[in-house]
Amino acid sequence: MEERFLHLEEQRVQLEQRRLEVERDHEFRMFSIFAQMLNILKQGSGASPGPAAPMSWQGFGLAPEDPKRSRTPQGPEQTFPVFYGLSNPGTRHLQGSPYLSNRGNDIKFKSGINDEGNAAYYADKYDEDKNPNGIINFGISENKLCFDLLSKRLSQSDMHHIEPSLLQYQDWRGHMFLREEMARFLTYYCKSPNPLKPENVILFNGCGSVFSALATVLCDSGEALMIPTPFYGGIVNNTYLYGNVQLVYAHLDSKITETNTRPFQLTVEKLEMALQRARSEGVHIKGLILINPQNPLGDVYSQGELLEYLEFAKRHELHIILDEIYMLSVFDESATFHSVLSMDRLPDPQRTHVMWGTSKDFGISGIRLGALYTENRDVAAAVANLCYFHGISGIIQYQIAQLLRDHDWINQVYLPTNQSRLKAAHTYITDELKTLGIPFLNRNSGLYVWIDLRRVSVRKRKLMVVVGEWGCSGNGEAFWRPDLDSLGSDSPPTHPTPVAAPSTYTRAPLRRSCCCFAVS
Amino acid sequence: MGVGPPPARRRPHTQRAGWQEAGVLLPRGAGRFGPSWPGSPSPFPAAPLPGSTPAPSWGRHNTLEWDPHLSWEMFSILKQEDRQLAPSPALPLGTDHGEGLGRESSEKRDEEPADFYGLGDPAAKFSQISPYLSSRGSIIKCFRDAAEEGYKAYHLDEYDEDKNPNGIINLGTSENKLCFDLLSSRLNQRDMQHIEPPMLQYPDWKGHRWLRDEVAGFLTYYCKAPVPLKPENVVVVNGCASLFSALATVLCNPGEAFLISSPYYGAITQHVYLYGNVRLVYAHLDSRVTEMDGRPFQLTVRKLEIALQGAKSEGINVRGLILINPHNPLGDIYSQEQLQEYLDFAKRLPDPQKTHVIWGTSKDFGISGVRFATLYTENQDIANAVASLGCLHGVCGTTQYQMAQLLRDRDWINQVYLSENHSRLRAAHAYVTEELETLGVPFLRTKAGFFVWIDLRKYLHTDTFEEEFSLWRRFLDHKVLLSCGKAFECKEPGWFRLVFSDKIHRLRLGMQRIREVLGKEPQVAKTPSPCQPLEKSIQSR
Repeated sequence: MEERFLHLEEQRVQLEQRRLEVERDHEFRMFSIFAQMLNILKQGSGASPGPAAPMSWQGFGLAPEDPKRSRTPQGPEQTFPVFYGLSNPGTRHLQGSPYLSNRGNDIKFKSGINDEGNAAYYADKYDEDKNPNGIINFGISENKLCFDLLSKRLSQSDMHHIEPSLLQYQDWRGHMFLREEMARFLTYYCKSPNPLKPENVILFNGCGSVFSALATVLCDSGEALMIPTPFYGGIVNNTYLYGNVQLVYAHLDSKITETNTRPFQLTVEKLEMALQRARSEGVHIKGLILINPQNPLGDVYSQGELLEYLEFAKRHELHIILDEIYMLSVFDESATFHSVLSMDRLPDPQRTHVMWGTSKDFGISGIRLGALYTENRDVAAAVANLCYFHGISGIIQYQIAQLLRDHDWINQVYLPTNQSRLKAAHTYITDELKTLGIPFLNRNSGLYVWIDLRRVSVRKRKLMVVVGEWGCSGNGEAFWRPDLDSLGSDSPPTHPTPVAAPSTYTRAPLRRSCCCFAVS
Repeated sequence: MGVGPPPARRRPHTQRAGWQEAGVLLPRGAGRFGPSWPGSPSPFPAAPLPGSTPAPSWGRHNTLEWDPHLSWEMFSILKQEDRQLAPSPALPLGTDHGEGLGRESSEKRDEEPADFYGLGDPAAKFSQISPYLSSRGSIIKCFRDAAEEGYKAYHLDEYDEDKNPNGIINLGTSENKLCFDLLSSRLNQRDMQHIEPPMLQYPDWKGHRWLRDEVAGFLTYYCKAPVPLKPENVVVVNGCASLFSALATVLCNPGEAFLISSPYYGAITQHVYLYGNVRLVYAHLDSRVTEMDGRPFQLTVRKLEIALQGAKSEGINVRGLILINPHNPLGDIYSQEQLQEYLDFAKRLPDPQKTHVIWGTSKDFGISGVRFATLYTENQDIANAVASLGCLHGVCGTTQYQMAQLLRDRDWINQVYLSENHSRLRAAHAYVTEELETLGVPFLRTKAGFFVWIDLRKYLHTDTFEEEFSLWRRFLDHKVLLSCGKAFECKEPGWFRLVFSDKIHRLRLGMQRIREVLGKEPQVAKTPSPCQPLEKSIQSR
């Protein structure tokens, strides 16, 4: 009987593998279509610089500025504000609903934007058989390369465990067994010099919730947090929806200068400028948000850089929130990620808060798990009272603890496979981009590539997705929007041929992730 | 923990509009209607906060139109076909939404000013300010009540028959622990262990469509909806607390309020306040039985009107009414006629666009740890606004799948689960109420919920919440945790909620410890409990 069952199970696994292979092949084909379309667009566009345009791939491979096309503001009045911006998520009302409060209308408008893209996408979703002309969603940063590994691991018998405490009300900060496991996991993978303490770990249903809770307890309504752009735009909603906290932008750009040795380089000088400017306008900034590895640039900060940013924050008594959600998605040895938790001495440990979640590094964004690590007891106690609203099923907490505990599987099976698949996909995509003559930032982390389509003038195409998550409004919006301001980008909104687009290089993820670019 | 001085009337004040408004509730008349926590035991010495300023008067939102939303924590309302509900003939509501009753009630109020009305003032209890936190962060940090202190003690000294037989028995948390065996075996069945890519990927923040289909079907069946409920009206989030938070945020501006009858499940105070900065206006019920009040703690439209007028007179904008049905902690089940009256009160004709229903699996399936709840509203503006907040309240995809499997399994629910659960609840209820009768403790006899609302007023030396708290404390010292009436904003000191949905050996031990505490208490001769006649009439049947 058991043998028969095992046999059946084996067959099922084989079928599943075949299905995944087919799916991967399919994703390859999808990318070919994508590449072909890009080619067509390039050829059909008069503004295209031509196929032989010189591109620098190595390092920070952005094409040199074409002076004729460059629209960077030159006037003395304009150069200053270029490095500064302020999100204003609450002002774009369409029509108010009589049933909602003022802020309710603000919030609904958010969903309006998301809905527009998502509704268009879901109404006309690409399917190789049923809807070959449908929309391909390249907006969402998800890792779909390792579903086979994860679904297998999560289906192992050690995962199927239920005990009374898992089904009952819990400590809202998370079950202690998972907080302990998370502390061990972060100690190990962040290379913390001292064991991290479980009582400093607080669990949420996703990092969006961590941002929401932190913004609410660190800032009063209408105060602000600072963030360099471009950045994962979902944070705008996360801090605004409940918290009514705005973001102040420190704009980075692609120009190479003496102080900017690479495109979109974050320097303390730019942070200082944005801070001073915000203060001069009466905006009260309480903290700085850094994403490392950066989304969408893929930058990984060096230890020296990190220390500079931390010292900057300390100098101004700013909290610093480090979003390290891509920490294990660095797929090439040429890049080394340094967690802020690996530092021997933090300049201002009481104002340093680190977050990580399973969504990106394990490709399980649907599981909803994020963790905050903070040594500050006041902050921990305050966010813990908001955890009420961000609880995670006890059964899932048990499964995640099992997953994080399994260092053998993570180190020997999962990470090597994931990283080699990411690398292969990255290579494939970047080769294609090179063939197409599209410049991009050549980084070795994350699930995306930041590409420069300023020279590719295209019209609205079904294939393309514009505002991605580095836009301002939520996850992957599958629609075209010329409103660059909402990209958190430094290009003026009137700029006809907008900037860069990130792309996932992954094969499997291609269907629903990747490429963003704006069009003229 | 000592008894604090009267709550601080001054709260932190910031430059920004949203929070500022919250900080300035109770602009006038506070003295007259009394602070919301009269003499309540407060762990926090109340001191004025640095930077606090006198409360400015109400500015933007003081248009006092009565434009309420209703929230229900139970689904029987869905039974009613809204269009078929006739205006209630019983209540002489004026054209101006209760104008007639309002006049009547304001006359009434002269006799019993603070009687039926109260205003929640959640920020009053705190005083410490942290240099690392914003003003509201400091409030949130200190936001706790006596009940939470009890849970803390409980978690440090939890009863376990083998390892800690002298630990605390928890008769305070409203959880159903009687059916773990059934649920764990159902959740371990093979159909539950299924994973496919969409479950591991970002979902539609309203919940996966297949789950919303199941929820709509489930609610249609168990709420006996006359027409099938629509999946597009369903939003799924991680628990009812999240729904209260999201609804408060999208329906009210900061500082506005919901109306609720007290006693009520006290955590709702935090649910609507922490993120939403929304407060509660209380319609106080009490145990007196009068001509109009046929039973103790009866909710009547008149009491709602009085509370609403009280709030209006203080310039509080009340945006909606919250009802809990079956009621927690009273266990009342509203009749269809009562429901209709309350709906009439909210609007002369029940308005489906302003009626929002909340249900979750925590209580009815005893799986509060799974974090699953659903909103049903026909109002797409509200559904979409709540869904916008849904990314902060997401439910794991595999959990969504399991919940869909569970809700779909009508055979198991009807033939196995509900019958078994109800018979276990009945047995536990019978045991506890018999014990209470033997002890001579009056209680409300109801047929819903996991708890009995018991009357321990005769054990209080004086009718104060300090006394109630000290009795609660003595229970805790004797290793049994109960919820005291103050946690439900009950108007009368001396009522407690006792949760009976636990295994018999724990109940036995818990009741024994209660007996020990009460045995040492001298009983104070007082007016007879309103519950006793009720008891007798039921017993004589």
